[in-house]
Amino acid sequence: MSEASPPAFLDVPALLEGSVPRPRPAWLWYSLLSVGVLVMTTTWSAEGNPELLQVVRFFGGVLMLGLLIGMGLVTSYTVKRQRAEQQRVEAIEELVQLRRWDHAAAMLQGMLSQPTLTMAARLQSLIYLASVLARYHRFEDAIAVHNYLLASAQFDPATTHGIKLMRAMAMLHEDHLVDADRAMSDLRRDAADSAGLALIEIYRDVKTGHPAEAIDVFRERLPALRSQLGHRLGDAYALIARAHDLLDQNAEAAAAFENATLLMSPDELYRRYPEVAAMRDKYPPATPPTGEAA
Amino acid sequence: MISVQEAITRFRRDVTLGTLLRAVLACGVAAVFTLHFVPLGKQIPPALLLMALGAVWLTLWYRTIKGSRLAAESSTLIASGRLEQAEEQIEMSLRAFSMSRSVKSMGLLNLALVRLAQKRWPDTVLLCREVLSVPQKASDHVSKSGRLMLADSLLEMGDLRGAYDALAGLYNHRLTLSEAQNLLRVQTDYLARIGAWEHLFQAVHSKVQLAEIMPPANAARVQAMLALAALKTGRADWANWLRRRVELLVDAAVLTEERPTLRELWDPTVQSSSSSSVAATAMPPAPATDAAPPKLPEPPTTAATDPAAAAE
Repeated sequence: MSEASPPAFLDVPALLEGSVPRPRPAWLWYSLLSVGVLVMTTTWSAEGNPELLQVVRFFGGVLMLGLLIGMGLVTSYTVKRQRAEQQRVEAIEELVQLRRWDHAAAMLQGMLSQPTLTMAARLQSLIYLASVLARYHRFEDAIAVHNYLLASAQFDPATTHGIKLMRAMAMLHEDHLVDADRAMSDLRRDAADSAGLALIEIYRDVKTGHPAEAIDVFRERLPALRSQLGHRLGDAYALIARAHDLLDQNAEAAAAFENATLLMSPDELYRRYPEVAAMRDKYPPATPPTGEAA
Repeated sequence: MISVQEAITRFRRDVTLGTLLRAVLACGVAAVFTLHFVPLGKQIPPALLLMALGAVWLTLWYRTIKGSRLAAESSTLIASGRLEQAEEQIEMSLRAFSMSRSVKSMGLLNLALVRLAQKRWPDTVLLCREVLSVPQKASDHVSKSGRLMLADSLLEMGDLRGAYDALAGLYNHRLTLSEAQNLLRVQTDYLARIGAWEHLFQAVHSKVQLAEIMPPANAARVQAMLALAALKTGRADWANWLRRRVELLVDAAVLTEERPTLRELWDPTVQSSSSSSVAATAMPPAPATDAAPPKLPEPPTTAATDPAAAAE
């Protein structure tokens, strides 16, 4: 007899299916209705008997009190569970920001393996799931999650733009160049001044062997890249270093690589872009100071 | 556009009215249940009264939920930089009656956030003080955000003692990552102003890691402050490395215009005058019971927000 294989880690179709919130049972309304019917029928049947009516009134009051307390307890329990779920989502967000991917992945697996309480928590978790999948270089899975999100929910424009950017980057990583080009045209229509889009264009040009074009985009869009990307500007410098390297402009490549590694660790850049990893050890990275005050 | 005074007046009125209404409703429910057990209940049907009370309660909570949604929407608008639209939403939420104190506090806090973004520091201070003066039962977030904004605005206004008091109140709270980032930004500013360079440079590695995930302008400012602290404490290697990072992230001229103290990083000739003037003018009066300058302890953070543990 063959043993059942353990469930795959971050199995996207299973997580998408398993995390759909269950419709809430309408038992509260049923119980309200039942109590109402019970009180009315007992009152009606005791109409001719004043003593029985007194007893019915008493128990009717107790029942109502019990119902009120019960409703309060149920509401409090539901609110507590929803708050706990929201806190889990916030914890996942922090783990993703701090790049503690393993912890984030484990929490996402746990959270999305069962129906979430709210659709908002599910959608937020799916966005973080896509980031974690991209970190593990599972770009096809990440694209599947992005497509699902864009097809099945309405986000605000900034979030939609962010998801589309991540999807376009994942497409480039998977060499879906036609799809990526279409996605970039779409992004250009939405927000032509987006630094994220500029970074994707630079990556596309480096990847497809057009380093001069990548350098042009970088020069033209540097102010936007600086104001929007923060330390991810290191990504752009690293790709430009590769572009200069492809053009045998070694001095410029070395300078750009030093800037990139001032902002980000070289290992992180090598992990993100195989094209940058191709020039590993060719140019010296910026050396961070060692030691600090106690 | 709603004025700060009007917002505060409405806030106070609604908080009082909300408390009163909740008390009246609770008394009403108690009275209705008592009717079941007294002879008067035969004349007045308690079930009908309870239904009437329920209808009033539901109507009021519907308005409260609407106000809560408006407050949440205005937070999103502020985050995306659409301040005018956010202000309109906040005005609607403040003008609408709500039974919940935290919904009202959230509205006032969002208005403070808009004023902070508009660099209207005195308005922000008034609003934050008002929010903090009301006891927050459930919303720790309101208290933490209010204190951070208050400290930020007071620093901008040069009230270092007030900023210290606002920050000191945060050390009893657990902070989220974004609150820890905000605290670091305000804390570095405060310590630079009082010239506590050694204290500022402490745990520099963790502070730099936290700064790296901030928005560009804040990341640059915090790292520039740390670079200055490194310079002052004789760590030229750190000072140079951090200064070069800052130069990549923002225009140094813009940064030094916002914080003239930072000129010393790029122009060594201002070194002596700047450092002595900062130490002389920015030191807040010593507390009556403690002669040492008020330095800030480290606040507790959530397990996930300790950047030192963020090993990859």
